[in-house]
Amino acid sequence: MERQGMRVRGGVYALGALVILGCAVTAAAGSTESQEKHFTVSGRPVVTLNNIVNGRIEVKSWKNPEVVVNSTAVPGKVSIEAEQVGDRIEISATSLDEAASAQPHEVEANFQLIVPEETELQLRTQTGLILVEQVSGDMKLQSVAGDVHLKEVSGYVIVKTASGSLVCTGCTGKLDFNSISGSAQILQSSPTSLNLMTTTGNILYDGEFRRMGLYTMNSGRGLVEVRFSRGDSFDLKASTYRGSVDNQAPEVLQPDTHTRHHSISNMAKSLWVTMGQGSARVEVSSYSGTIRIVMRNN
Amino acid sequence: MECKDVEAVFEQEGLSPLPAEAREHLSACESCRELLADLSAVVVAAKRIPAEENPPERVWAALRAQLEAEGIIREPRAVPEPAAEPWWHGFASLLRPRALAMASAAILIVAGGVYFSNDHAKNGGPAVATVTPPTVTQSVTPAKSETPAVVQPPTPALSAEVTAKKPAGRAGAAETSKPSQIRESTTPLRPSPSELASFGESAAVLDQTERAVPSGMSNAAVDAALRENLRTLNEFIAECKTRLKENPGDQMTREYLNMALQQKAELLNAMMDSGRSEH
Repeated sequence: MERQGMRVRGGVYALGALVILGCAVTAAAGSTESQEKHFTVSGRPVVTLNNIVNGRIEVKSWKNPEVVVNSTAVPGKVSIEAEQVGDRIEISATSLDEAASAQPHEVEANFQLIVPEETELQLRTQTGLILVEQVSGDMKLQSVAGDVHLKEVSGYVIVKTASGSLVCTGCTGKLDFNSISGSAQILQSSPTSLNLMTTTGNILYDGEFRRMGLYTMNSGRGLVEVRFSRGDSFDLKASTYRGSVDNQAPEVLQPDTHTRHHSISNMAKSLWVTMGQGSARVEVSSYSGTIRIVMRNN
Repeated sequence: MECKDVEAVFEQEGLSPLPAEAREHLSACESCRELLADLSAVVVAAKRIPAEENPPERVWAALRAQLEAEGIIREPRAVPEPAAEPWWHGFASLLRPRALAMASAAILIVAGGVYFSNDHAKNGGPAVATVTPPTVTQSVTPAKSETPAVVQPPTPALSAEVTAKKPAGRAGAAETSKPSQIRESTTPLRPSPSELASFGESAAVLDQTERAVPSGMSNAAVDAALRENLRTLNEFIAECKTRLKENPGDQMTREYLNMALQQKAELLNAMMDSGRSEH
């Protein structure tokens, strides 16, 4: 009898806990507030977004001379400010939770920006994704753990993350990526200059090599894979200190034998190849990871 | 200890090692921790600026070949001996005033040279001499001058190289000056002692900054990501240091160590920033 009573009490407690949890989640979900602000610009705007809290940033473009900022956050937990000075728009999101008692989802601000096609961007967030599509202009994108996805962007793009990864599709211009453990994938892109550096992440370059372009890819411990087509023209220098160089197209990429090369390390394994006229310069290195050179089928 | 005292310590004693009082103050003072982080980042960035290095020997060889080809310098030529004269004629010429003045000046110069060379030898030799690049030591005189220009070969190896390339005529000279003819130096670039020491200093400064980083941030996800990356970097830095001890001349390891130290400086800065913005 007593055992049955305990069971009933346990069930009641569990049900109570579920109800409280459900209420809390509903309250949390329902308490986010959206804001929309419009800023008219005359020329090429510079948009700075400094998101000190977590959250996602999405930037898309349109043809209107106007910047639209949509944001969602929990009121009272996160403060969002946006101001305009000429063509410069500065947005910031900061935590109001001095006691640091808020739940992680509460100290979060998500942004959706619509900007003119030619816009300069300086975006910073902590853990959310940064997504930029079809924007042309110089960009500096920083994230601690959030990934960065770029689609059809051009300009001088600088991406810095601690562990966030970069995926860049259809990009042109100059790209600079620096990360500790994040990876980089450059796909269907034709940058004029590329500098990718990661300590433990992987690198995949599956893009074009432009004439006079300079492509530098370094990974401390990760895999670096470079894909090329038969008609490409580049000078490739690949070297690794403790890893290996995996030339998967030995019939096309014949190591240079007519010149002596000055190795940067006594112990490095390296591959020096000229493809076509050697118009672009490709420098790939990995400290202890593998370097793989692959020829595309098409 | 107050903030201004800590600043004075930074200024006068450097960033590492810090005295116990300064460390104690740092653990409680956020602005001083920020200052330390900023200074550490500056120190690491400054260390990345490459030290001045001697150009490879091939540059000097090519330069000499080019100068010879253009007739600006020449190999020493035997000066024709004057016709034999009675010995007293020479003695008599010494007694002429101009000749006496020149002889006195020459004696003074020689005496001065001997004095300085002895003095430097006693003091262990001039440090500058070891870093001075092998240069065309004597003034390069115009081609018309009767005095032959003397080019001192920097090293025996270089001398041999230059001798092998010595042009027989004008065509040969032109050939020598072609860049493609320049032989690649096979000697790996050695790090300068200051450069090697700088890694240790940078690492010590960064370790000091790391100890001053706040212990925990309210944003657990960011805190975890930053600390995980710090661990990753520390492991990688340790690996590079070990390899560099085994093979100090390894340029690739040095480059990767440099990059990792730079990343660590930036990461610590970010950690300081996160701590500041959330507390």
